[in-house]
Amino acid sequence: MLKFKLLTCQQVASLASDYLDNCVDGKLNFKIRVHLMMCANCRRFVKHLKLTKEVAPKFINEQQPVNAEAILQRIKQKKL
Amino acid sequence: MTTSPPSTYMDNMDEQAFITALIAGDDRAFCEIITRFQHTMLSIARAICGDTFADDVVQDAWVAIHNNIGKFEQRSSLKTWVITIVSNEAKARLRRESRRISLEELDGEAPGSYLDGNNFKSDGHWQSATPMWNCESPEELLEEKQLQHCINKTLNLLPPAQKAAFMLRDIEQQSFEEICEILQVSAANVRVLVHRARLTLMQVIDRYQETGSC
Repeated sequence: MLKFKLLTCQQVASLASDYLDNCVDGKLNFKIRVHLMMCANCRRFVKHLKLTKEVAPKFINEQQPVNAEAILQRIKQKKL
Repeated sequence: MTTSPPSTYMDNMDEQAFITALIAGDDRAFCEIITRFQHTMLSIARAICGDTFADDVVQDAWVAIHNNIGKFEQRSSLKTWVITIVSNEAKARLRRESRRISLEELDGEAPGSYLDGNNFKSDGHWQSATPMWNCESPEELLEEKQLQHCINKTLNLLPPAQKAAFMLRDIEQQSFEEICEILQVSAANVRVLVHRARLTLMQVIDRYQETGSC
């Protein structure tokens, strides 16, 4: 018999980033893991959030190039 | 007008040699740090003092960095040093303009997001099953050029504080403590901002998996 109140999906969804970033304490971490063992929807939600956290920054690193030379010229003009 | 070359100069030498070149006044090394940090700096400036002043603040920060690079003592990483300068410039500008912009006020919860109460039953469980993805490996997802466009487009539509918190955490890999200091918000608020940004980007992937477009 469980001696604590189970988390709801809404609570797990709110805490998912904290869980992935290891920002939840041991007791809460355990409660989240118990919920994930029992809930396929939340397992998928956390898995997709983890994938997003991993993939999105790689896409963004390839965003539009910066015209660094023009910026450097402006810096030098401003210093004159 | 030409754009800067791809980031090969920095990649082709070790960090210490790169910093030595930078301190010695090597323009190519300086262009490299502009390319590397410009987007992050703009995001930080927008989050702290708003769109109106962000470009000016970043320009002033680059001038300060250029003026002081010779005095960079490497007590922190180059990234931390650069980010601290733009953050201080933005805070100073905000004080000068006598405007207080609350990051929390700027970045509310978007209706229809995952955390929207309508997605949950009264007992706190999902109203409907969370979506399946056809593509569930990072490698497969990264091959989707259209998805890259969707993610970048959405990143630029995020509220400024969410975007800055996300870029500092997930791209620049700054600690939550450092982000609190840079953006001057509480640790709890930084975590909320990062979570909201990730959820918005996750919804983009959801939609892309379902429809093949943004």
